[in-house]
Amino acid sequence: MAGEGGAVHAIEVTVNGQTHSTAVEARRLLVHFIRETLGLRGTHIGCDSGNCGACSVICDGRLIKSCMMLAVAADGCEIETIESIGEGADGLDPIQEAFREHHGVQCGYCTPGIVLNAKTLLAENPDPSEAEIRRALVGNICRCTGYVNIVRSIQAAAEALR
Amino acid sequence: MLLAATDYVRPASLQEAIDELGSRRGARVLAGGQSLINVLKHRAAAVELLVDVSRLQELRFIDVRADGSARIGAATTYGELERSPELRASHAIVADVAAGTVDRQVRARGTIGGNACFADPASNYPPLLVALGAEMEVAGRDGTRSVAAEDFFLGLWRTAVGPGEVLTAITLPALGGAGVGYRSLQIAADSWALARAAAWVAPGDPVTAARVVLGCVAATPVRASAAESKLVGGPRTAEAATAAGALSSEGLDPPSDVHATGGYRRAMAAVMAARALRDALGFGEEVVSNGR
Repeated sequence: MAGEGGAVHAIEVTVNGQTHSTAVEARRLLVHFIRETLGLRGTHIGCDSGNCGACSVICDGRLIKSCMMLAVAADGCEIETIESIGEGADGLDPIQEAFREHHGVQCGYCTPGIVLNAKTLLAENPDPSEAEIRRALVGNICRCTGYVNIVRSIQAAAEALR
Repeated sequence: MLLAATDYVRPASLQEAIDELGSRRGARVLAGGQSLINVLKHRAAAVELLVDVSRLQELRFIDVRADGSARIGAATTYGELERSPELRASHAIVADVAAGTVDRQVRARGTIGGNACFADPASNYPPLLVALGAEMEVAGRDGTRSVAAEDFFLGLWRTAVGPGEVLTAITLPALGGAGVGYRSLQIAADSWALARAAAWVAPGDPVTAARVVLGCVAATPVRASAAESKLVGGPRTAEAATAAGALSSEGLDPPSDVHATGGYRRAMAAVMAARALRDALGFGEEVVSNGR
């Protein structure tokens, strides 16, 4: 099949546990596939240039920026977005609870990426130092909070999860 | 952002990748995409076919040999380099550079071969690969050839990898007691650099051989031959390292941009070279930054 956007490619991607068999143009970014094709709008687009981290998702267990990967390259991969978490009584993940408790959210635009960053960080390192948390956040830009409450939230989440 | 129409293929073997790359003039290698995807967004290059080598196991390995040399597949990610105990034992400096590259997201996808092939003047690996005397393996329809890192970087975003070819592996010679150092003046921790310098000094006193290589000061990594000559035959002292470093950027004319003037870059390249040389000779100061 060829159209204006070039040939389409069959892909099979698992997103939040659900497998999608579909066809995409090679030029389609993973972030657009997630937001527009699947309608999962919790993954945000901030800069469109791989700098801000608002589009961060988990791909095969590792945090990536979904604006820096083609959807076709995610064929066979397992993607987790912010919609995948939140099993608690009030529908929140312990990391989200900690962000609420410690006011780690201001405008909220960067939050989904940062929460997923924290999830992968704490999976690798359950007891990170403040310096390690700050260093892990390098790829996620927040323009509201100055990071102080975000760091506190992640420290609290680490404690709750240990 | 909408990319220009392009085609895509994910070959199952290196041979298939070479066939695909040779099939069309506008075919390009896609590895981790952490630079190329932005190039595509800006429509800065016309790409008809992306040949995705990121999952080729033939390009994804770290093989540290008994003699202390290390052969690294071009599609090995920064994260894989950072986490390799074998590489940390043989060439810790290469693992450290990976660990300090941009952010966790980029390290999960970006590759050492992609970094070398993108060949941006500010890229972190090119000066280090030249300083370490790395050999680059380039495969194409006519077989595989080996190119010294020093001859690999040809100009702004240009390397010895020709049309229809792909960088497959990078071999780092054994350090064998040589001292190494790598210093960058960065705008922020793990960020873009204004000046870089890598140093390699052979064992022995007086110094028998040295390589000092600057980054961010020209289109390609620059061998600082005046600094190297100053070192060779001299003592292994902090003073000798400092004096040689001071000579390293003489005569260079780096570009000015929004971040720094050319003169500042030249001055800072000399400071980085002096520090890298002091590290290589064992007189390094602790780096106080970014929580490592």
